[in-house]
Amino acid sequence: MDFSLTEEQEMFRGHIRKMLDKFGGTQVAREMIDQNPQNLKKVYKTLAELGCSGINIPEEYDGMDLEALDLVPTFEEMGRSLVPGLFMETSALAVPILKKYATEEQKQQYLPAIASGEKWISFAALEPFNDFSPAGIHCTLQQKDGQYVLNGTKTLVPEAELADAFLVLVRTNQEDQEDGLSLLLIDKTDALNIEKQSSFDESKHVAKMEFENLVITQEQIIGEVDKGWTQLQEGLLYFNAALSSYIVGAMEQVVHMATEYAKIREQFGQAIGRFQAIKHSIVNMKVNLEIARSLSHYANWVVDTEEFDREAAVYSARTYATEKFIEVSAHNIQIHGGIGFTEEIDCHLYVKRARYYDQYLGSTPFYQEKVVASLGW
Amino acid sequence: MDFSFTKKEEKFRAELRTWLETNLPEGWLEGKRDLPEDLDEYSRVLRAWQNTLYEGGWAAIAWPKEYGGRDASLMEEIIYHQEMVRVKAPPLINYIGIHMVGPTLIDIGTDEQKERYLKNILTGEEIWCQGYSEPGAGSDLTGLKTRAVKDGDRWLINGQKVWTSFGHVADKCFLLTRTSTHPEKKHRGITVFMMDMDQPGVETLPIVQMDGQSEFNEVYMTDAVATDADIVGQVDSGWHVLIALMLHERTGIGAELFTLEKQFNDTVELAQQYKVNGRPLIENPAVRQKLANFYARVRGSLLNYYKNLTTTIKNGQPGAETSIDKLVVTELHQALSAFAVEIQGHQGVLLDKDAVADPKWQHLFLASFGQTIGGGTSEVQRNTIGERVLGLPKDMGR
Repeated sequence: MDFSLTEEQEMFRGHIRKMLDKFGGTQVAREMIDQNPQNLKKVYKTLAELGCSGINIPEEYDGMDLEALDLVPTFEEMGRSLVPGLFMETSALAVPILKKYATEEQKQQYLPAIASGEKWISFAALEPFNDFSPAGIHCTLQQKDGQYVLNGTKTLVPEAELADAFLVLVRTNQEDQEDGLSLLLIDKTDALNIEKQSSFDESKHVAKMEFENLVITQEQIIGEVDKGWTQLQEGLLYFNAALSSYIVGAMEQVVHMATEYAKIREQFGQAIGRFQAIKHSIVNMKVNLEIARSLSHYANWVVDTEEFDREAAVYSARTYATEKFIEVSAHNIQIHGGIGFTEEIDCHLYVKRARYYDQYLGSTPFYQEKVVASLGW
Repeated sequence: MDFSFTKKEEKFRAELRTWLETNLPEGWLEGKRDLPEDLDEYSRVLRAWQNTLYEGGWAAIAWPKEYGGRDASLMEEIIYHQEMVRVKAPPLINYIGIHMVGPTLIDIGTDEQKERYLKNILTGEEIWCQGYSEPGAGSDLTGLKTRAVKDGDRWLINGQKVWTSFGHVADKCFLLTRTSTHPEKKHRGITVFMMDMDQPGVETLPIVQMDGQSEFNEVYMTDAVATDADIVGQVDSGWHVLIALMLHERTGIGAELFTLEKQFNDTVELAQQYKVNGRPLIENPAVRQKLANFYARVRGSLLNYYKNLTTTIKNGQPGAETSIDKLVVTELHQALSAFAVEIQGHQGVLLDKDAVADPKWQHLFLASFGQTIGGGTSEVQRNTIGERVLGLPKDMGR
């Protein structure tokens, strides 16, 4: 038994950390608050040059044909600096779905372009005043005069302005409430109606998309019609394993911030880290981080296997990570005291991102139910 | 990353499993697992079990072969605990001897001490207890006041120990005493004696715990006698001996985690059996969410243990991060047993023969309050993690 990342994986982490540090860590996320994505684009270009975007793409499509576990260092390091953008939606959601369900033509069209970093894919699922469930999807794809047309509205579409294409979850069958959905892949064109939304996590851009009689071709449908929700689950497994890694990286930075601040901040004539009220609070953060990390590493290993606990492991890694990310990022502000409440210090960026991801593509109860159901309880 | 066991490890597991099937007490595997209530009878049965383990070569697998062990690897120890938990094996009455005293003597004992004690530890001939805590020395062991004073060619020991587990059945005590005073460096001047429990100067009194059990004792020493030959390591260097001893107890938390995992599975079964308004409790969304939450925490702590174990295997010794495992498993055990009692409704308070579920959650719940205190309180663990893992400064008092 060996429950650790390999030396190569850790070495790769070193390269990515060095690169992100050169861009100033959270500076990239902060520039997004100012609507300036220039450095984010450079970061993504560099990640592609380092090979990150092709890690889990088969060799025949110009990738490295490695596994989810090999993406862990990349996601952890991105989380550490809260790098926004579409890396996870592309590599951990679109790619697994394309690999499993797309036609050869679709794979040829997208996978090499993703591997090379030319195409980043966003995911449009949620709709206004609806939840993330089959019954919450009303955007409708209908056949009219021998062609498909799409109508409806999507909300909270991440980094829509930076996306080259959108994976869109739509309804194709009104009768089948369990599924009756389909997955589309729509390239970005001027015909798309994209409207930026304002969110309190300003470093993570979201947008509303409205479809009005948008013509869709058969070639844009991924996998089987009316089986979109079922097929999406495969993507959600990989996505949530990746998300747990991203969050672990972010939590690691939060614990680091709190620890280092408690060592240098003095009150009552001593470093506040001496006080057990502070010390134990940081230790609880650290414990949560380590458990989240262990769950997440296992999730990224198990997702490429057929083990019986594949789903339970991934979804428990996700719920644990999202819940504890909220907790540790909140404690981090408290430990910093007044300065932690300012815009100047990074603490607030992490709290906001924690809230963003808590309810992203399913809530904690949504995934807790999946854990229990997948174990047959 | 690799969660598989090697062929050698699987062979080890199969060998142990086969051995257990033929050697566990009659009817044990089928569920006849009640141990005698009477203390003497209880101790007789468990000494016999210890001797059976010895004869099969399974008493102290981590010890070197030359002292009667198997030179087991860490992974083989893990497998050993997994299998013992799987069959709910009887408790190891000489746990302290096997996992702490024995390895410490092998490490730093004299040849005479090894010759005199090791085999009797293995066979269960001599049961060991440890004399650490005192009424005035709990988390701060350096506050101990039990004194050992040289008197001719012998030592006279006076003082009181408390929370001495197995004290009532023990033949020998691994005893921390003060032999000299250093107000500035209180961990100096401590000496470890291997004291005879069966002598006029030693009196043990059982402590009745909040769960009705009496696993611990108070031990009073009035001119109790020991000799130079009974000293472990050097006079006044007992603190180093204690630290060496703690490093030897390397897989105990693993055993607790496997037990926790088993108890979690039992909790799920309980939720499947118990009905509320005619429907199985497990169909209740709030209960399902809590079960999912426990699942994540139980799996997470087990996986974290494997992560730390991997580091231990690579570095040759455990690091301070193993304090995380102790903290997590005890607090989780407390939370889980409280949950198991809670979901039984009002019947959750029914005890012993009136209890509605097996295992007896009521006892596990009550006993769980001791787990976050014994072996280093949760607060002490948090200090260790804060200071030795995170590098935070020590508080002014220490």
